[in-house]
Amino acid sequence: MTVTQAPPTTSTARAPAPRPRVSLEPYLYLLPHAVLFFLFTVYPIGYGLYISLHRWDLLSGTQPFVGGEFYRNIFTPGTPQADFFWKTLWNTTFFTIVSVPLLVAAALGLALLLHRPIVGRTFFRAVFFMPGILTVSVMGILWRWMFDNQIGLVNAARDALFSAPPIPWLSTEGLAWVPIVVGTIWWTLGFNMTLYLAALGNVPLSLYEAASLDGATPWQSFRFITVPMLAPVTLFVIVTTALASFQLFGQSLVITNGGPSRSTQSVIQYITEEGFTNAQYSSAAAMGFVFGLFMLIFTAAQFRMMARDVKEG
Amino acid sequence: MTTVTPPSSPASRSAAPRRRRMPRDLPRFLILCVLALLFLAPVYWMISTSLKTEADAIATPVQWIPRNITFDNYREVLTSPDGNILRWTWNSLFVAAAFTVGHVLLCALTAYPLARMQFPGRNAWFWFILSSLMIPGIVTLIPTYIMMLNFDWINSYNALIWPGISGVFGVFLLRQFFMGIPRELEEAARLDGASSLQILWRIILPLSVPSLVTLAVFAFMGSWNNFLWPLFTVTDVDKMTLPVGITTFSQRYVTEYGKLMASTTLAAVPALIAYLLAQRFLESGLSTTGLKE
Repeated sequence: MTVTQAPPTTSTARAPAPRPRVSLEPYLYLLPHAVLFFLFTVYPIGYGLYISLHRWDLLSGTQPFVGGEFYRNIFTPGTPQADFFWKTLWNTTFFTIVSVPLLVAAALGLALLLHRPIVGRTFFRAVFFMPGILTVSVMGILWRWMFDNQIGLVNAARDALFSAPPIPWLSTEGLAWVPIVVGTIWWTLGFNMTLYLAALGNVPLSLYEAASLDGATPWQSFRFITVPMLAPVTLFVIVTTALASFQLFGQSLVITNGGPSRSTQSVIQYITEEGFTNAQYSSAAAMGFVFGLFMLIFTAAQFRMMARDVKEG
Repeated sequence: MTTVTPPSSPASRSAAPRRRRMPRDLPRFLILCVLALLFLAPVYWMISTSLKTEADAIATPVQWIPRNITFDNYREVLTSPDGNILRWTWNSLFVAAAFTVGHVLLCALTAYPLARMQFPGRNAWFWFILSSLMIPGIVTLIPTYIMMLNFDWINSYNALIWPGISGVFGVFLLRQFFMGIPRELEEAARLDGASSLQILWRIILPLSVPSLVTLAVFAFMGSWNNFLWPLFTVTDVDKMTLPVGITTFSQRYVTEYGKLMASTTLAAVPALIAYLLAQRFLESGLSTTGLKE
């Protein structure tokens, strides 16, 4: 509201004074965004710190100061908070370690298959990209059904093709990761593929022509032209995919609900359980900060790598 | 789904001038066909299960093609007393549309002075808001939730629309685009006595339609697909968005696969329609956004 009325007054005020002076105008444009930015981005960070240092009890109405108690809990082996926080943080890290290389390599492979013209190229691009537009709950329900212990399509196909007995994917520790990882690849591969396709389109064809004149094999062209030329995109894809993987939440919530026995529970799911299900807001806020710091260090490292790469490239 | 049939036309177009290369391309084509089949199989299985009776859905050996096609699952899901898919779709549409309009407007208003005006603190403010991209969302989850409690915004659209609306990536995107617009256009308008708001409205924004649309598409998709935040801030069945509502079905119909798949198919339809309409923007937006080489 303030925006629509504010600028005309300042522009008339500015007209008689041609010499440069500080005008209010730009600040009025910034104001609406800035107000909401402070309210919902800057303030919650401080408020979260405050919550994590107090014992937040919605029922009693008082919030006594407890200092670092909730942080100490996270680092004191034996408390449920410490046990589950580190277990689920490891789960999330495990998921990231497994899924990122698959998502990067498979996306590059798909992009290479689709880069040169081929019959049905538009169709294939659409097929590989489309799953990504589904919401995580649709994708999750679908893959839970695909890997259903008894009559899921995966077990049915194993039965039809190899007469193999059904595997209880969803209720076996370790194996329960398979539907989550496979579903995630199906869901997000198309995004990375599209980034790679755009990058492949930017590689100058003259490089390949020169290489083939010099007698380079296709593998040598790939190894010494494609891979280095794609390095900036690869780094970008790795960073964004890894950051997204650390945010794992919906896939494991819907497909396995974190089970069996928390083996696929993500750290964000555990934090929300501690906060919203157990109503331990202060403890959850403290975990949010610890995990946030973990992510921040990870992100900073990635940014450093990107900056270095850009300088070299 | 519907995308499966039409592509023969673009296919033959691109193939025509290269027919002699076909034999060498055949293995590549076959690999792509197998991969496409694998990618489409879950979607096919979802739709085919949704058309089966409950007995057929869990029959062994599996029915690859539904024997007795029925729309009962769809009818029951659409008229279920446990929740209303159409209502959830409307909630999602309303929230995503309101969020998108507000987000694009806020980002444009902020990007404009940052890109086109000189004033003290300009760079400092730009880097300050940009640095918030480093802060992971999990840090503000609990405090923002408590704020929603204090505002009495739990179970309201407000909780779904306001907290993320002043996003910063959009400011960055639009600022980069606005900076590329030639100064001459703006100076000519200024000589004609246009105010800065008129310049923004008549010159900058019309020239920025592609980047505005890209930002809008991503804002809409982000809000439409948001899951974690609406899952905890909206517990009232009538106020739920589609992704959250569908999961309540999945908890209720845990063994009724036909109904479950009918509800996920219905939940996928708006996204598929949107994809078909916005395909061009989506893929080109994705491949240019954030990747400046």
